[in-house]
Amino acid sequence: MPGRAYHRPMVVAEGTDLIEYYYERGFSDGLPLVPPTPAKVDAMLAALGGEPSRLEARIPPRWGSLTREVLAVNMVMAGCLPRHARIVRAALLALVEPAFNLNGVQATTHMAAPLLIVNGPAAKEAGMNGGCNAFGSGNRANATIGRAIRLVLLNVGGGWPGELDKSTLGHPGKYTYAVCENEQASPFAPYHVEKGFQAGDSTVFVIAAEAPHSVVNHVSNDAEGILDSIVSAMSTYAHNTAVAQGHCAVAIGPEHAATIAKQGWKRNDIKSYLWMYSGNKFRELAFEHRYGKVYNRNLPVWYKRELDARIPIVPSPEHIHLFMIGGEAGRFSAFIPGWGNMTNPVLREIEGKAADQPRCVDGTCLL
Amino acid sequence: MHDGISLESLGVPTAVIVTTEFVREAKVQRAALGMNALVPVVIAHPLSSLTDEEIHARAAKALPDVVAAWQGKLGEG
Amino acid sequence: MNHPVYDPRGVVSADERPAARRVGGLDGLRLGILDNTKWNANKLLRQLRDELQAKHKFQSVSYYRKESFSRFADPKLIETIRAENDVVVTAIGD
Repeated sequence: MPGRAYHRPMVVAEGTDLIEYYYERGFSDGLPLVPPTPAKVDAMLAALGGEPSRLEARIPPRWGSLTREVLAVNMVMAGCLPRHARIVRAALLALVEPAFNLNGVQATTHMAAPLLIVNGPAAKEAGMNGGCNAFGSGNRANATIGRAIRLVLLNVGGGWPGELDKSTLGHPGKYTYAVCENEQASPFAPYHVEKGFQAGDSTVFVIAAEAPHSVVNHVSNDAEGILDSIVSAMSTYAHNTAVAQGHCAVAIGPEHAATIAKQGWKRNDIKSYLWMYSGNKFRELAFEHRYGKVYNRNLPVWYKRELDARIPIVPSPEHIHLFMIGGEAGRFSAFIPGWGNMTNPVLREIEGKAADQPRCVDGTCLL
Repeated sequence: MHDGISLESLGVPTAVIVTTEFVREAKVQRAALGMNALVPVVIAHPLSSLTDEEIHARAAKALPDVVAAWQGKLGEG
Repeated sequence: MNHPVYDPRGVVSADERPAARRVGGLDGLRLGILDNTKWNANKLLRQLRDELQAKHKFQSVSYYRKESFSRFADPKLIETIRAENDVVVTAIGD
């Protein structure tokens, strides 16, 4: 029926505790689910464009069919409003692009979780927070958009911990991990403009990510000093990017960004500096060959395997995805490692429009 | 399982070796990809941290199951 | 009044595909080995290869490596393996 949510009608008796009911059905991420009602599901469906049985994607590793109706149900359960719908859908469409390898991200023993960063007017329209406590709690849009994505990955994708999700430790981003760039407070061009979109376009960026690693620097009053602290956070062989390469993200807080911008530095200068001065020695990645001779096929062939050779954290500055995020008080930034070269981040305009210039999010147009 | 299913659907009998930790995922994948008939060869978990001797033992144990998989004689464990 | 309840999972719909026809004896067949490059898959597969070769007279034995252990194999690689082999063993899903 047009305009009405379609599903095989199931009912429970009046007086049933619906929150407990959905817990018992095994649909919850651990937090209470919002019990959907026909009105809420219909409103969410309308925001998605109607057509409840239209297939948006199939979600690995279960390859469940994410129809608009199923998406609407998960979004209502997450606590989303209809104004969040376009962002959630765009994020999921980005996640199922083959380059992202969602199948691998869902199943891996690593703690990687999809991190969503939104650019453009859609972030403000949805009420997202890219400022104070952006990665924390207190903002309904951030909380429920990220949660809706996770509920789809759990329910439709089947990525339940212990079953198909083998993550040894997990991390809190597996509850919700969605922010926007703080474009208003940023002295630099927004991320999506760097990648060839117009400022008025709205985009979603997804990357398989570890938890943010705080970078403190209350001392430096120049770009190099601040960036050296971020370099320090990057230059450990503990995080996955160091050993498996691929892509990573850096979130620079407004106070740090202001200092860097005052010196006239731009996005490319920052990424290049971070790439140039970060790294480990091969002997560290090889564990001094203590457990046998190591070559490490995850590293590009052009890295030298001599013991004291510098091993870059990522193969190029373009593998570092730079965002201005955070509140205007505090001299902090963050380094966010990725999963490795087994996945590529995806940048996607919300309605699917292409960028004006060729996009090189994953470095594939570098020759 | 994905690659094994691709090869099987192209006509090549394929013995897919997984560890015990992976059996559940293998079954979900084959259901999702439409080949419930593909029975994996299962060895004990883990493989990644074993000595050469232990790997040798795993291989010896898996060998009859690999042949059975090709000949259609491998039952579900 | 009853409450409607909802299922957030979506259906899994896959048409069942037939597996390949099984083989009888292994002598004279072409054996393919697909290494997904996960840790120790190569050691396991090399052991298996040696033991299989000791027991059966394969026409040929070919060894292939996946480019990335986490992604699906390149379709060109799959086609090459299909064209060059009669039976395949692959490891490791762990």
